[in-house]
Amino acid sequence: MTPVSSKLYTDDVSLLMVLIDTNPYLWSSMKNTAFTFSKFLSHVLAFLNSILLLNQMNQVVVIATGYNSCDYVFDSSSSSMQRAECLLEKLEEFVDKDETLSQEDSVDGVGFSLLSGSLSMALCYIQRVFRTGPLHPQPRILCLHGSPDGPGQYVAVMNAIFSAQRSMVPIDSCVIGSQHSAFLQQASYITGGVYLKPQVSDGLFQYLSTVFATDLHSRAFLQLPRPVGVDFRASCFCHKNTIDMGYICSVCLSIFCKHHKKCSTCGSNFGEARKQDPSASGQRRKTPDGS
Amino acid sequence: MADGKVVKRAKYKSSVKDPGVPGVLKLTKERFFFMPNDPTSTTKLNVEFKLIKGHRSSKEGSSKQALLNLMHDQGRSYIFEFDSFPDRDKCREFVASAIAACGEVVKAASEKPAVPHDEQLSAAEMGRRIKLLQDNSELQKLHRQLVIGGILSEAEFWAARKKLLEQGDIKKPKQRVALKNDMWSVKPLSDGQTNRVTFNLTPEVIHQIFAEKPAVRQAYLKFVPGKMSEKEFWTKYSRAEYLHSTKNIVAAAAEAAEDEELAVFLKQDDMLAFEARKKIRRVDPTLDMEADEGDDYMHLPDHGLPLDETKEILEPQYEPFKRSFSQYLNQHAAVVLRGRVIDVELGDTRSVAEAFTRTNQAELAAEVSDESAYRERIAKVSRVAEIEDLQGPHEPPVALLSIKDPRDYFDSQQANAIKALGDGGTGTRQLKFNVSKEDAFCSLKNSISEINSQGLTEPIISPEVALKVLNGLSQNISSTKYHLGKNPHESVLDRLPSATKDELLLHWTSIQELLKHFWSSYPITAKYFYTKVTRLKDAMSQIYPKLQEIKESVQSDFRHQVSLLVQPMLQALDAAFAHYDADIQKRSAKSGERPNGFA
Amino acid sequence: MPQVKIVARNFMDMVASLPAVKLDMLYDNSFICEAILRSLPPLAKKYVLQLLYIDIPISAKSMEESVLPDGFSKHKVAIDRLIQLRVMTETFDRKKEAMYQLNPKFQFNLQKHIVHGGVLPREPMPSNITVRLPSLEELEAYAVEQWECFLLHLISSSEAGKTTNISSSMMKVFQRGLLSQRDEREPPRLTESGFQFLLMDTNAQLWYIIREYITNAEERGVDSADLIAFLLELSFHVTGKAYNTNTLTDIQRSITKDLSDLGLVKLQQGRKESWFIPTKLATNLSISLADTTSRKQGFIVIETNFRLYAYSTSKLHCEILRLFARVEYQLPNLIVGAITKESLYKAFQNGITAEQIISFLQQNAHPRVAERIPSVPENVTDQIRLWESDLNRVEMMPAHLYDEFPSRDVFEAACDFAREYGGLLWEDSKQMRIIVKADILTEMKEILRRQKQ
Repeated sequence: MTPVSSKLYTDDVSLLMVLIDTNPYLWSSMKNTAFTFSKFLSHVLAFLNSILLLNQMNQVVVIATGYNSCDYVFDSSSSSMQRAECLLEKLEEFVDKDETLSQEDSVDGVGFSLLSGSLSMALCYIQRVFRTGPLHPQPRILCLHGSPDGPGQYVAVMNAIFSAQRSMVPIDSCVIGSQHSAFLQQASYITGGVYLKPQVSDGLFQYLSTVFATDLHSRAFLQLPRPVGVDFRASCFCHKNTIDMGYICSVCLSIFCKHHKKCSTCGSNFGEARKQDPSASGQRRKTPDGS
Repeated sequence: MADGKVVKRAKYKSSVKDPGVPGVLKLTKERFFFMPNDPTSTTKLNVEFKLIKGHRSSKEGSSKQALLNLMHDQGRSYIFEFDSFPDRDKCREFVASAIAACGEVVKAASEKPAVPHDEQLSAAEMGRRIKLLQDNSELQKLHRQLVIGGILSEAEFWAARKKLLEQGDIKKPKQRVALKNDMWSVKPLSDGQTNRVTFNLTPEVIHQIFAEKPAVRQAYLKFVPGKMSEKEFWTKYSRAEYLHSTKNIVAAAAEAAEDEELAVFLKQDDMLAFEARKKIRRVDPTLDMEADEGDDYMHLPDHGLPLDETKEILEPQYEPFKRSFSQYLNQHAAVVLRGRVIDVELGDTRSVAEAFTRTNQAELAAEVSDESAYRERIAKVSRVAEIEDLQGPHEPPVALLSIKDPRDYFDSQQANAIKALGDGGTGTRQLKFNVSKEDAFCSLKNSISEINSQGLTEPIISPEVALKVLNGLSQNISSTKYHLGKNPHESVLDRLPSATKDELLLHWTSIQELLKHFWSSYPITAKYFYTKVTRLKDAMSQIYPKLQEIKESVQSDFRHQVSLLVQPMLQALDAAFAHYDADIQKRSAKSGERPNGFA
Repeated sequence: MPQVKIVARNFMDMVASLPAVKLDMLYDNSFICEAILRSLPPLAKKYVLQLLYIDIPISAKSMEESVLPDGFSKHKVAIDRLIQLRVMTETFDRKKEAMYQLNPKFQFNLQKHIVHGGVLPREPMPSNITVRLPSLEELEAYAVEQWECFLLHLISSSEAGKTTNISSSMMKVFQRGLLSQRDEREPPRLTESGFQFLLMDTNAQLWYIIREYITNAEERGVDSADLIAFLLELSFHVTGKAYNTNTLTDIQRSITKDLSDLGLVKLQQGRKESWFIPTKLATNLSISLADTTSRKQGFIVIETNFRLYAYSTSKLHCEILRLFARVEYQLPNLIVGAITKESLYKAFQNGITAEQIISFLQQNAHPRVAERIPSVPENVTDQIRLWESDLNRVEMMPAHLYDEFPSRDVFEAACDFAREYGGLLWEDSKQMRIIVKADILTEMKEILRRQKQ
């Protein structure tokens, strides 16, 4: 007789946080390509439907990553039917709000979207789910991102990545823009997620359903695409040289290729390391007898 | 000497001037003993000849004492003064042969002919080294290669491993003698003809009875020898045992009613039950042990198991005479596990019984004296627990981090990361693109309303595109599947042929060993180091071409991987050679000024 | 008595064993496609999704490409399941290599679902017609009450306060395997599987009953495929909404009557129309297919001192607790008891295992303790397991000790003989003693007598 299953939750119940990039400048720049925002949205909506189809307990939350702000635009646990309408309505409201927050009239290049903000919101939501008790779906984050990395967000993004790592939440990234993203590449590498830049842009749904729909349980048995390699060697803050060994500020972890008296990033004073006198510290060696 | 033993009268002296302790010296093949005449004296000796490295004796002459000096290998010496020179000589001959014999034994035991000339090793030390080599095959390989191969001396080899030797040196506690794990040591023997039944009680058996049945022990102390003789006591006990073995509970009860001494043996052992309960009480009093109450296996027959089959209807008056097999088994197991708690010669029954009682009382006393300390601890524990419960979590003090420009962090990372992805060009390219805010947001909103009005395109994706993507993905996966270095669990080594792998690992360990010795010899302060360094350098230069060979012998698809592995080894060796050459040059330049070189 | 397999999952085996034509017919219904997809193992779900828009057969090799060595058995299970349920068809190309393709009907239905999102099986009735609709809480309470009443009837008809409408013949069908009755006068006793049934969570129990209901369907003249289709469809209705009974066929209407007795739906009668309201039990049907346990509120608190507090008003809970614990007080909303050695031994004798008790306690842990890890104190779980293993500690076996053999030959011959008969328990060759099972006493006597001569 089979004993009563002691499992409290099925393996593949997932909470999927989807971050969609709604940077208007990005999508304007792609207006003339085959892959427009409406196409992107239809692929994403189909993907959300398929995730919710897989398991009744699956939950999907969509966060829009705007140019000036970010917000939750969809939560499958609160809206039951007419998902697409619901999402699009909220998204429109969000874009309106994002526009009013915008101050400058035009941006040079594509500009950056607020990835750090949406990552943090996703993590907050996941933390809230964690605290509802031991019965919760397995969370993961999927970034559908196209804007280039914003250098100013570096610290915030890295903090988000590390807290995701600590709470064992993988960050999957699907890069929809033309260039790779160092942020997302690191995020996926550190948290054990998948980083992928689709080669065929109008096949996005197939990428999503083949790679990113894989629940965490199944990932133990499947080989998902992985990048060729990540070079984590750092460059120093002072000369931007790639270095293997260097000095690190113990306060802010800035990297320098030479010894400095003061950290240029956080202003901490470095104490002088005392040089060890080898003759004083080393004991006299003894030669074995008979020599 | 023929019987391998010599006994002579002698005086033991710690030095030549010492008047000495008179006694008897006894020599056997392995060791010598000295027993002083005065039994209270502490100068008893018992030394193995293995530890004696030599002997001297005084010259024969009328005015001189007949002395024999046995030198211990730790610098001590034992001096004996004999009554006459012939006595002394006899002993000297014996000692000489005994030392020689022991020396052979040591050599035979060491097995390794490479015992260095310059070192006096105790047998224990030797044994430890041999054991280490036996246990650790890797170490043995290294030892064989380096020491037997003459590159390092034994002493040098072990000097680097003092820690390892010390570890093995930790003395194990002396083993405690246990009790026999035999329950049926008392077995009635019947001769089959008469009704007589005989019990054989040995001191060992009595010891076990006392250990397992405190009530019998107590009865013994109470009755013997005042009320009855020892023999009578044991006869009574045997009779009780016999009654039990026949399982005749009713008869047992009847006999017990007549004879109150016999009843002691027949009834259940109250002391046992008492002790078991006491043990349970010893548990932390804050625990509620109600659920475990049944666990002492004492107050419930068959430890609480209702066994329908064996249910016998017994009148309550016989109840105390019932014994359960499980109870026996438990008590026996407990006693055997506790081991021999008393240390008394087994011959004297009374002293054994008393010793048991003493240990019990000692335990009790210890408990009583602990009582107050124990209370205190409990109070403390509960106090600490309470406060910890109420306190908030400890947060370490926080200092705010002031970072002037977080962009720096990004710059230090981004260039590399993008480069690694294979298209460094696009990473840094800024799109030439300019659009006004209104246009951008407007087109975005148009897209949304477009999809809102039209709904999702159907089908989402054409089968051709889907197939193309799927094929592309599975190709990507199969191509990266065997890409090396990504999976931390598999390394290049695992994919090499095992012979090559072993060879590489062996070279790696020996290079490390050699380098360790090489660098520890600098700076060269004595000639000894100089010769050692030369020797090491030669050995290393022999390994160098071997590594090259390995590199060339592997298949072409592994060659790159192997050369990556070998590279650091070669670099380390190169560094050592370079240092050696530089040092030689410096030295020869110096020695020009100072022709004596290193003295 | 045939071994009863009490696993809800086996329902899908039942579906898989339907003839191919019937199965294909089932896939016309998009709700069934959805329910079947959800019941699949995770890997199989993923495969369906990734083949959703592929219209040509895909070689098995390319699917195996992404499977890690560890996952190969799971992959195999997933593929087998897909083929078994005819979700995927296996064909062989010219090189005799296996190719897979999705069932076109299944594929089409899922594609539709993905584009349009979930659609309701039938429109709920407008609220101006339906009056006095129960609130969700009331509905839940109703479902629980109905279900418990049913369970109480199932284990003992005398305990249940309320009567149930389920016909006694139907009840007999459900009781088969759970209860056994030695003779007519005695009340029926719970069997081992009966005890285990009680310890299962509600969904598993429900599925067990539903399975029995379906296997019994043919006898009542209902096609089992229709029944399965209706039950799965029912699970996609919205809890608490009213649906017109006129939209149902006659057979379905009679089924809803039975289901209302189980607490799956609530039937209400308006002035003109009548309607049914699905409860959580019904909508959970398809969730629990994938062996999920529902997020039920636990009610049991166990302390490290083996005391048990169950915050429950349910008679059924009390009965279940009584199976393995000593119930001491029963307050209006609280049952206080203790797990003791004696109470557990009683449970073990009834064939309940320690693991079942522990998992029952863990699954029903009160939310306040459920957050803790472990939810049941470790010392309690350990002790329960220890007490169970205690039962196997000493094995009594009647035996005889033989000693004082006249010679070593005789001793060895006796040893060999006893060993041959499998009766040798212990031997001491030094002192020439052996212990032999009492079963072969006569044979031993015989052999010894012959040896003497």
